[in-house]
Amino acid sequence: MNVSSQPEKKSFWQAAREFLYGLFGMEFAEHALEMRASLESLFMLGTVGDMIGMPVLPPYYSLRLLPYVIPHIETWKRRVLREREFSDEHDYHLEGL
Amino acid sequence: MSLKKIFDEHPERRYIMFGGKGGLGKTTFSAATAYWLAKQGKKVLVFSVDPQASLSDIFQKDIFGKGPVKIMENLWAQEIDADQHIKAYQGEIRKKILDMYGFEEVPDEIEQYIQAASAEPAMEESAIFDAVVDIVVEGNYDYYIYDLVPLGHALYYLSMAKVYDEWINKITKLREEMREYEEMVSRLKREKETEEDAILNELQYIRGRINASSQILTDKEKTGFFFVVIPEEMILIDTAKAADLFAKFDVPIMGYVVNRVVPRELLDQNIPPYLKNRIEMQDKYLKQIDETFGNQVASRVPELERDVTGLDMIRKLSEIMYGE
Repeated sequence: MNVSSQPEKKSFWQAAREFLYGLFGMEFAEHALEMRASLESLFMLGTVGDMIGMPVLPPYYSLRLLPYVIPHIETWKRRVLREREFSDEHDYHLEGL
Repeated sequence: MSLKKIFDEHPERRYIMFGGKGGLGKTTFSAATAYWLAKQGKKVLVFSVDPQASLSDIFQKDIFGKGPVKIMENLWAQEIDADQHIKAYQGEIRKKILDMYGFEEVPDEIEQYIQAASAEPAMEESAIFDAVVDIVVEGNYDYYIYDLVPLGHALYYLSMAKVYDEWINKITKLREEMREYEEMVSRLKREKETEEDAILNELQYIRGRINASSQILTDKEKTGFFFVVIPEEMILIDTAKAADLFAKFDVPIMGYVVNRVVPRELLDQNIPPYLKNRIEMQDKYLKQIDETFGNQVASRVPELERDVTGLDMIRKLSEIMYGE
């Protein structure tokens, strides 16, 4: 009995936790990730900006970071080089927090 | 104050630099100082940060890109081959990419980027800057003699440390902020610790190298910078300007060495008016040098009967400079 009720309890707490996360935490987490992505765009610009025509002054040291940023290059380029409309602007809810 | 006295009184100053406009004798004085220190029983490395280095010529030995080459007992000389350094560095980057992602070969776009970044004009200076860090951080020698590039370029070299420092601070700050958001998300999702940020570790490593180099350049305890001048108006004007700029970078100026002074005793001989005029002109500027730099003038070196190349001439010059 005990053995079978344990996973039920666990999944109940798990479900409750996920429910609470969805209710209170998810929006914050998504905005935090959004803010992180914006910072990452700036970071990529400062390290491999040459890829999109923005010179980076210490090319020697920025090259050292290249192996680590390879998985993000495509996404970053899509993010910074896509055409934008005025209506694209949206609020960053965590800004200034 | 004599050069010998300066070295005797400040044995802690292990990083010695000779700077000045092109062709005034920086390499010659670097070599003679290194020779003299080696003869005093100190282990010395004289190295050039000039892509057009001439230590090979003065020591009459091909040392370019060969690492520290032993010239004589206690004396090593090194000319950095920036191209070789860049190629080896590119190789390291490629290997890291292949190891990290298990690629057969480096993707085209990344390879093109590596090639393009390496062709940038700043790459050579950056590579030399980094190679110097390797040389001085190892700390195998009692003295490091920098044979610097000409003044304008040397200022660029000094400012490079500052620019790199600002770059690394900005980039590290961005990375740390990204880290804060990552941790915030982890806490909200009640996840365990976030993964270690390899980029942040790498940035800290780069910062350590940049700081090591800029600290040495501006360390008043351990570093001494000598300006090489000749008694001519243009040189003195330019040197005064450069001295102001160097002071802004906190470079500890240890003295001035005056080169190519035509011996005044020649006036007692039957000399042509051309030479007489040169001596009189130099008299005027030597007086100006003494008034401007006072006891910072560490040595006056006469115009020698021939150019300084080979150990015999280097020894002769060192005896003149260090009063033996």
